[in-house]
Amino acid sequence: MTGPDTAPFVDRPDGDLAREVASAPAGHAAAAEGELYRRFARRIRLFGVRHLHDDMAADDLAQQVMLIAIERLRAGEIRNPDEIGSFILSTSRMVATGLRRTERRREHLQMRIEAGEPVDLPRDERLFDADRIRPCLASLRERERTILLLTYYVERSATEIAVGMGMSAGAVRVARHRAVAAMRDCLEAGRPA
Amino acid sequence: MTAGPGVCLSIGELSDYWTADVFPDDMERIEAHVFACSACTELLADVDRLRRSIGDVARTGGFQAFVTDSLLNQFARDGVRVRAYAMDAGGSVQCAVWDDDEVLVTRLRADFRGVTAVDAVMRLDSGEEWARASDIPVPEGSRELIMALPAALIRRAPEVPMRLIVRSSAAPPGESPLAEYTFDHRGAHTRRG
Repeated sequence: MTGPDTAPFVDRPDGDLAREVASAPAGHAAAAEGELYRRFARRIRLFGVRHLHDDMAADDLAQQVMLIAIERLRAGEIRNPDEIGSFILSTSRMVATGLRRTERRREHLQMRIEAGEPVDLPRDERLFDADRIRPCLASLRERERTILLLTYYVERSATEIAVGMGMSAGAVRVARHRAVAAMRDCLEAGRPA
Repeated sequence: MTAGPGVCLSIGELSDYWTADVFPDDMERIEAHVFACSACTELLADVDRLRRSIGDVARTGGFQAFVTDSLLNQFARDGVRVRAYAMDAGGSVQCAVWDDDEVLVTRLRADFRGVTAVDAVMRLDSGEEWARASDIPVPEGSRELIMALPAALIRRAPEVPMRLIVRSSAAPPGESPLAEYTFDHRGAHTRRG
């Protein structure tokens, strides 16, 4: 007979947490549900930003998908809790398609996980200060800086950038990878110890 | 803790995820990995912050770079206040910025045919070097480069004539420049009323 898992929640695999939610009476595994929510709401939100191009819609998506996931876990309707990530991703795709199709985004602000206080979504996507970004941007090679601006400000593809800069699309991508890595290194180096 | 399935994603893959360049199969593969890997979630969120921060800095004209018309069009869509000049090789212009300008753009015209990259050096009247840019890509057959500078930088520049000298990056030392431009800098002006 196995006793309750006393490992800290943050150290436990997703599948363990999902199994705990599935095996407990509804609403009696709040800590495991909270940890699953903390982990996956952020991933769903990033997915939502990429596909819906709207921060509020991404927030709505995260709320709605996690509501579905936790309800399905509680109801024992997820056959393999070890595949919880896969279930949440496929649900995110389905719900995002629905959100795009119906444009009923605002309604979902009202949706909350039942029982307990509304949970704030992780807001760790605060932007870097412009005073930190500017010197790092300035330290890049000319072509890398231009490529980052065209990619992330003007939202041009590598092929479009290549035409405008007299480079190949492959060279644009390589330069962009190098520039993003250099920017991260520069921002890390500027962080207070 | 979420274990990552297989090898973690590279910074290049994660930066491509936020662009129009990512192939649908790669997008699905990246999402499947991120939904099972906390380390790659962190990295993906970091790249998201970085791209948004770059966009924010660009939107205020807080960078200096050689750019394309598509970036100027984006400035126009975003309502960025741009002061623009156009100069032929050997030409000079009396230039200044006003207090509400955000970006100074100069179209540097010359025959750049046969040149793939140039270096540009800005010198004060005294000969002292004020700024330098190296390895600026030149599209084939180009007759114009577009230089963007933050108006804030120009406000701090000395009120003296400055000379911009443009050379092919591949030119041996001592070879004549491709073009020179004189900026008769008249400082910063304030609008009345």
